[in-house]
Amino acid sequence: MMRRICVKIFKDLGIMIVLAAVTGFCVNAFSPSGIALVGDWNPEQGVVSARVKNQPVSHDIEIRTVDEAFAIFSDQKALFVDAREDALFNEGHIKGAVSLFVNDYGKRFAGFMEKVPLDRPIVAYCSGRSCEDSHTLARYLKEDGYTDVRVFVDGYPAWAEEGHPVEKSR
Amino acid sequence: MKKAADLFIRNPWIDLAARLCLGVVFVYASFHKITDPSAFAKVIYGYGLFPAVTINVTAIVLPYLELFTGLFLILGVMPRSAAVLAEILFLAFIIAISVNLIRGHTFDCGCFSFNKENPDSAGIELLVRDLIWFAVGLVPVFFKGKRV
Repeated sequence: MMRRICVKIFKDLGIMIVLAAVTGFCVNAFSPSGIALVGDWNPEQGVVSARVKNQPVSHDIEIRTVDEAFAIFSDQKALFVDAREDALFNEGHIKGAVSLFVNDYGKRFAGFMEKVPLDRPIVAYCSGRSCEDSHTLARYLKEDGYTDVRVFVDGYPAWAEEGHPVEKSR
Repeated sequence: MKKAADLFIRNPWIDLAARLCLGVVFVYASFHKITDPSAFAKVIYGYGLFPAVTINVTAIVLPYLELFTGLFLILGVMPRSAAVLAEILFLAFIIAISVNLIRGHTFDCGCFSFNKENPDSAGIELLVRDLIWFAVGLVPVFFKGKRV
């Protein structure tokens, strides 16, 4: 009796797992928010991501060290753009950076474009190598005509930890 | 004690209530993972327990495993097996949360929503919650009699 129940449970579990796998892979294949079967999860290579379809994380535009970011900052040509939400930006951001919260991009872009010429070098950043928002923001800016957009992968936490210039907003 | 346990595993209404509660929890918990597999994959990465090659496949399949487990529990399709699967999933969550609590690793549990910027929502209360759900899941697993 017990053995019969266990065999049935194993069979049912097999059915449920196959059903979930088939449904999951089919939906993923056709969904615009589908992801690759293997993601990009090595933080040493830059920002980690699940590799969403049509939204590639381009490692070519990444600034991978705080020193390199600081050299660009010291050069004073590039504008640092903070992709994080307003509350985090107000708590602290790279000195001189402007806020362009990635989720509000559609609403804020017109105002941003009025002030920032398309050929101005831009460095987007967020909260570190687990945060993809800087890449999303960089992609939006490039699509809208900005020609020189890079991503500072270690973002605000590493910048502040190194003791580089930061400021708060009220 | 045995009498009290018997009351739980022989009462079809308690079994139904347990299945409905668990079913709703699983269906609800699956939605945000299905609509945003990328964010869910990042939550799995944040647990720091899984090999890189398994993360995306887990993010693709696990939400549907939760969805079907929930639907089967609610609809009474293979109810005992669905309850066993629910218990296996709860056990996996309990182990994952416990390991991270022990080693002091903060992470976003990703249970019912994603908390990208403040990934410290996993803690002892999550463990207690999952243990309670695990206890509820024992009712449909060991139920004896005719289900309603």
